[in-house]
Amino acid sequence: MLNRRQFIQRSAVCSSLFLVGCRRMPQQSPYRIFSPEEAGCLIALCEQIIPADDAPGATEAGVIYYIDATVARYFPDTKDRYHNGIASLQAHCQAAHGQSFEALSPTLRTEVVERMETGSLPPEHWETISPQAFLTMVIRHTMQGFYGPPRHGGNRNYASYRMLKLDFPLVVGQNRYSHG
Amino acid sequence: MDKQQHVQAIVVGAGAGGGVAAKVLATAGMQTVLFERGGWPVYDAHINDELISQRMQVLDSAFGPDWKKHPRVYVGPDGSRTTIHAGDGSYNHVAACVGSGTVSYGAMAWRFMQEDFRLKSIYGEVEGSTLDDWPISYDDLEPYYEQAEWEVGVAGNDSLNPFAPPRRRPHPMPAFEYNRDGRYLADVCQRMGLHPFPIPMLRNSVPYNGRAACIRNRTCCGYACPVDAKNGTQNTVIPVAMATGRCEVRTGCVVAELLTDDAGRVAGVRYFDPEGRAQTQTADVVVVAGSATETARLLLNSRSRLHPNGLGNNHDCVGRNLQGHAYTGASGLFDWDILDLTGPGATMAICDYNHHNPGIVGGGLLANEFYMLPYAFSQSRPWGEARWGKAHKDYQRQNYYRLGRLLGPIQEMPMWDARVTVDPAVKDHWGIPVVALSGSRHPRDFEHCRFLSARAEEILRQAGAVRTWRHTGDTPPASFYGPSGGQHQAGTCRMGNRPETSVTDAWCRVHEVENLFIADGSVLVTNGGFNPVLTIMALAYRTAEYIAKHFR
Repeated sequence: MLNRRQFIQRSAVCSSLFLVGCRRMPQQSPYRIFSPEEAGCLIALCEQIIPADDAPGATEAGVIYYIDATVARYFPDTKDRYHNGIASLQAHCQAAHGQSFEALSPTLRTEVVERMETGSLPPEHWETISPQAFLTMVIRHTMQGFYGPPRHGGNRNYASYRMLKLDFPLVVGQNRYSHG
Repeated sequence: MDKQQHVQAIVVGAGAGGGVAAKVLATAGMQTVLFERGGWPVYDAHINDELISQRMQVLDSAFGPDWKKHPRVYVGPDGSRTTIHAGDGSYNHVAACVGSGTVSYGAMAWRFMQEDFRLKSIYGEVEGSTLDDWPISYDDLEPYYEQAEWEVGVAGNDSLNPFAPPRRRPHPMPAFEYNRDGRYLADVCQRMGLHPFPIPMLRNSVPYNGRAACIRNRTCCGYACPVDAKNGTQNTVIPVAMATGRCEVRTGCVVAELLTDDAGRVAGVRYFDPEGRAQTQTADVVVVAGSATETARLLLNSRSRLHPNGLGNNHDCVGRNLQGHAYTGASGLFDWDILDLTGPGATMAICDYNHHNPGIVGGGLLANEFYMLPYAFSQSRPWGEARWGKAHKDYQRQNYYRLGRLLGPIQEMPMWDARVTVDPAVKDHWGIPVVALSGSRHPRDFEHCRFLSARAEEILRQAGAVRTWRHTGDTPPASFYGPSGGQHQAGTCRMGNRPETSVTDAWCRVHEVENLFIADGSVLVTNGGFNPVLTIMALAYRTAEYIAKHFR
């Protein structure tokens, strides 16, 4: 029989074995493909795309969980586009402003995203993916996570359906919804 | 390789055409095997999920096929070859399940007009196009339209449509009521001297055939019906075929090749069963109904000594003239809630712009559109609107119930070079060479889209829309590279009297092979300015009746 302490020790050995060859993860990440640092940057970017006002924004709706889950499950090929895009964005923000993207002021963050869209950022940090291509991908996935059905991890608590005054979810066999 | 017991008929593909054909053959007394590469559609697998619905297919295709197992190749204008999956727009996807597109379609049940069978006689040659007359007329098909309407089930009322072709019998169910935007736009059209009428639908307006009436869900087009009030082949003709005891539906089976004998007749099919084992099934007669892309692929992949270029392809016609529908029209923002989300959205149409419009070959219907769910709506913006940020969110919030749309399928000019070939290198999960798509649309299509979208915009302006814009396909983001096709794909094995320019004869029998027939959109010479499904069903009734008469 293992006692609890032994169990935890051996599990730690096992999981560190599994982590060999993975990206360096300084702390346990609650995400499947993002490190906590990457997620922090991406959450801030998604919130720029759908900001909170009197209705929830991308963060509250859990868009990051949608992106994390669907990239891991459906589009593993795009993982590197995310890793590279986030790294490029952070490199630019560090070089230009001495801070990570999520630490910038809201106005400055909006300005950076506007410049990503128009392609007017200095090109040196964007060798693996262009800022436009990265932004377009994040916009698309943010919209899916916010406006798509909650079963994929986003649109938590039907945030977007509430905002659009759509009733939800459908009662099977009836054109009637249980809330709304 | 295992060999199955010989049967009288094989039908490949359990969609609109194949389902109808299997029903006619089985009820006429023929032992039939109906092959389907997908499975039976299961409601739980895709309940109301916009991101896997037939409309969006962002994460997956709820109704198949498996993205990984069924790749295709897109050949660009520069000759570059890209391997694509079913979620890519250029894939020209059709659902892979029993019923195929008829499980999740919007279910418009159009008869083509008399003119649609005689385009070349009416409009003359169109330069650069293989536009032609059909070898049959509307009158030849009329009884089979009626059979499709009554057996599969259509709700409609033609009496308000002065352009409707003649019919002997009314629709079996009363027409649907208009929804809010339909009622309002119908009034506007009437004021403008146009002729609005309720769209005929393969959907129960009253209980019919043992199933319930429609409950007007907003998630209809692109989804399976939660109360089974939408009529596809999977809940009408295929169960009838099975009830005879003479039709076996073999799901999860991928047909790889049509086998021929020394006389050049088709002897059966080679296929892979759900466990991936190679099997053969022989039959007296084979009907292929796999969709315009997959039917052409199967014929091209069936090479033998007598048919070195593929079955029915001695004149290099198989896979050519691939057509679909550019959807064109206009959107208008209103300053009041024009939508009430009484599903499925499309209820009202006009046929004033089908035929007899100066300078336009064919034209197309206009209808108020199926509803967009929130993600689709987030992607629908006039050019120049914000793609993100507070402005995007505000637009979404302010206008979700305020966007009126009038759209329709334009009659496309068939192109010899818009085609399906099989790729020499890329193979699917079973090692079968895949569909490669190449070619482009005819320039006249863009002109016709501009015409029809301008008419749609005029109506929306008359209706008081505060802001309008057109969908012509030639303004950014241009999506008009590549051949047409999509879920309305047609034309790749066109009917005709001359083997040099067509693949099948007027009975949809492949010219070179006496016991091989085609019963899907492939045989359509031209694709009409209408959704083609009822025409595909009617042709399948006619073809299968002929087969039953001659091969039983």
